[in-house]
Order: sequence, then structure tokens, then C-alpha cells
Amino acid sequence: MAKKEKKKGLPASLPNRQGRKAGLNRRDFIDKGFRFSIAVGLIGIVGSLFKKSQAKEYVWQLDPSKCTHCGRCATSCVLTPSAVKCFHVYDMCGYCDLCGGYFRPSSKNLTTAAENQLCPTSAIERKFIEEPFFEYHIIEDLCIGCAKCVKGCGAFGNGSLQLQVNHRLCVNCNECAIARDCPADAYQRVSIDDPYLFAGFEQKKEG
Amino acid sequence: MKQKVIVGFALVLLIGIIAIMWFDFYKNKNKSQENPYEYNIDKLKVIDPDLISHEEIGQIEPEIEELLAITIDKNDNIYLAGKQKVIIYDNSLTEISSFHIDTTAYSINVTNTGGILLGMLNHIEVYSQEGVQKAIWETLNYDVVITSIASNDNSVFVADAGNKVVYHYNHNGELLNEIGKKDTIRSIPGFIIPSPYFDLLIDSYGKLWVVNPGRHAFENYDAKGNLISSWERTSMQLEGFSGCCNPSNIAILSDGSFVTSEKGIERVKVHSPNGDFKSVVAAPSLFEEGTQGIDLAVDSKDRIYVLDPVKKIVRIFKMK
Repeated sequence: MAKKEKKKGLPASLPNRQGRKAGLNRRDFIDKGFRFSIAVGLIGIVGSLFKKSQAKEYVWQLDPSKCTHCGRCATSCVLTPSAVKCFHVYDMCGYCDLCGGYFRPSSKNLTTAAENQLCPTSAIERKFIEEPFFEYHIIEDLCIGCAKCVKGCGAFGNGSLQLQVNHRLCVNCNECAIARDCPADAYQRVSIDDPYLFAGFEQKKEG
Repeated sequence: MKQKVIVGFALVLLIGIIAIMWFDFYKNKNKSQENPYEYNIDKLKVIDPDLISHEEIGQIEPEIEELLAITIDKNDNIYLAGKQKVIIYDNSLTEISSFHIDTTAYSINVTNTGGILLGMLNHIEVYSQEGVQKAIWETLNYDVVITSIASNDNSVFVADAGNKVVYHYNHNGELLNEIGKKDTIRSIPGFIIPSPYFDLLIDSYGKLWVVNPGRHAFENYDAKGNLISSWERTSMQLEGFSGCCNPSNIAILSDGSFVTSEKGIERVKVHSPNGDFKSVVAAPSLFEEGTQGIDLAVDSKDRIYVLDPVKKIVRIFKMK
């Protein structure tokens, strides 16, 4: 028979009816193939679950070095007020009496009177430390992320006031509405393990 | 007929919808991008032309990779320093010589005997006019950031922004004393230097003037470190200085008036010896936004040399 099949030109690798001991029949082949597929699938699922459990979560953050103070962080966020807040990097601060982030340029006196303040919501608290140093503290609940103080501080001072997405408030939308509107393309995904992108020093930051 | 009316009406409606969409997309775009919180500081940079007292009469375009410092000697030769190079020009702006230095010089001064003192961040290097290194003066403190040097016949004063102090050396490089540390008994307020801009000079009477940039003040010390006098002008307007650390650089005219440069609002002004604003030399429009460290020098004819580290040029101004 084998000689006959050979004559018919069947490939030697194909199983023949007489040679079950040597190879697989069709049923075994499908059966083993099915089991193999399930095993591969299960391994794949377990692997992907493991990988997912190990993978870092990503959140939105804005790069202060790209920020153009356009005001859209205040207006484009799905939250009201925005999840973007001003943060104060104290290590960079000059503790100035005439703070460019606190006072309007037209201020006649360096007092905390509302008409002297640059911030539209009075979200910056000015505190006397010692002559001639003043400390500036951001009141998070009042800050709307408009970046006026950030621009003032950057223009006249060391740039210690910086906008950042506050991750205690951000709902981490798949498509961040501010990132979509940002003209400077300053928004990016960053690891949740290191979710802030301060320019300059990173210590003693406070929201 | 009725069908034609319906088709016509539908077409008009379609055109109307397309027009509204087009208007919304293109015409309303700018309106939606207006910043309701706009903080326009450009108006602070506008200078009344009547206040500008000087006109530009020339420029130097030196071949230095990073142009950082300028000084002028008693013969009106101009010395420029920066990354790995020092170039010397005569008063007709012809290059006399140049020499290589190993690192970057952030400040420069020429002594009355022709020695070239270079502030190399944390130490002083002394060179001859031919570019031969004569000495290195090491500093004793940590975190030294040398930002300015001034000298007279007896002394060399070195501003250290890192330690907020002025070192008083003799010409052999021996440290004699430190000037300007906070001392309430001697009524010395102490220097406030939030960023590395800390300039000093010696006036025609040999008096040391040091900028206290955090206070927007000029302080006059004797060689022993006693505070003789001071003035300060804090204002976001033209008559004063604003921000964390201004003026960033200074020079002095023959009548004792101070030439000042600022960062934040990039401009060069003249203040009278008692501190009152006199005039503007260079308006902010001459500089790129964000230009910092505009070093200044004045020659014997009161021409003002303004070093622009971003455009890598030196502008020369004379009184109109």
C-alpha cells in the first residue's frame, strides 16, 4: 500500500492510514492544535495581565518651559475651576518685596490692597518674613490657573511661580481638553511615579 | 413646481448652514482664542523717544562663541571676554590682539598697569597683554560665583554672587578683607542676590560702588568695608528697578552718573549720582526678550558700550 501511495505521489510527511504509529491522524492533529491554541491564549492573557499590572500609569502634565501663559489652562479644563494650579518652587524664589507675580505694574504702594494685586482671584498670600524678604503662598482653592502671576514672575523674577496640573484634582481624561487647546503643545503624558515637571529646583514645592 | 421650490429652499438652507459653519470655524477662531487673563507687559517696554538721550554710533561683532564681559582700559582699549577667548580692540574698533583661555571668563577688568584680570566662575586668572597667564588667585569659599571685578592702584575688588560678598585683594592676589556681609552693628544690610547678577565698580574718586540687586540699591563702601552711603529705587516704572535682581550691570560716567542695565525689562538707563532717573540709553526694543547679563563699559569720552550676549554684539552709544 505504501508503495502504491508513493506511486500516487503523496508526500512522505503526510500521515497515512497505515502509519498511525509514525505520525498524527487528522483528529489528533486538530485536538492537539486546539489544546495548543488554548494554552498559548491562556499564556498570552496571563502575560498581558501581568504586564498590565506592572506597567506604569500615565497622567497629564504641562512643561513650564514651553508654557506661553495663554490663559487656556484656566478656560479649557473640564473642571471648574481648572485642575491646573500655580505652584511655588520656593528654592527658586527671591522672596522679593516688589514681586512681579504679586503686584500690578501700576501699584503705587507695595501693600496687599486688592487694587495692587495682579491675581484676579487674590489667590496669592503675601507674608513678611524679615526685612526685606516676603514669602508668597498660593491658596489652591482660589487659584484658577490663569498664569498671570507666572508670567509676571518669569518676566521680572526667577520664574519660581509655575503652572502644573494638580493631580489631587485632575480627573485624567483620556484626551485632555487643555492639551488639545494648548497652542504651545506643552502638555504631555508623564509617569504617575513622577507626575510633576517643575523647571529648575524641585524641592520645597507647594500647591 | 412645488418640487422645484422645495429643492431650491433646501439648497438655500444648505448654503446657509455651510456659511454659518465657515464663519464659526474661521471668523470666530480668534475670538475663542482671546485670553481673558492677558497680562500685557509690553506697555512697560515702550519708551517715550524724548527720554532717549543717546544714539547708536557703531557696533563690534567679535568672534567669541559666548560673549559675556566687557571692560575698557585707561587708553580706551576695549577688552571682550567669553568662552575660551579674549579679544582686545583699540578705540577705533580695530582688533589689536586676542588670546585663548582654557575655560569661560564671566567678568573682566584691566588694572592700571595693564594686567588683565579674568573672573572664571570660582577663581581669578591674571594675564599679560600678550595673553600669558601670570597668576591664578584661588578663592577660599565654597560656591563661589564671580560676577564682577574692579581695580584701582592699590586694590582689586571681586564680587562673589554665590557667597553674597565682595573680596578685597591686593595686586598680589592676597585677600585683605571681605566687604558687605550683613552686620547690624555697622549698619550693613547685606547683599541680596537671588540670581547671579552682582556688579561693582570704582568711581573716579576711587570709591567702591556695589549693586545690591535684591534691594534695587547702590551701596558705597570704603576699602575697610564701611558703608559710606547708598541709594535705592524700587519701581516697575522707568524711574526705578523691579524684579528680583536689578540692575544686573552698571558702569559710571565722568560726571558720576550711573549707567544701568536690567533684566526682565531689557533696557539701559542713566541715573544721576543720587539715584534719580535721568534718561534712557537703549530701549527694550533693541534686545531679544529674555536677554540677561547686559554688561556695560564707558570710555574716557563717555561713550557707552553695551554688550548684548544674545546677539553677540557690542553696541556703542554716544550722547545725542
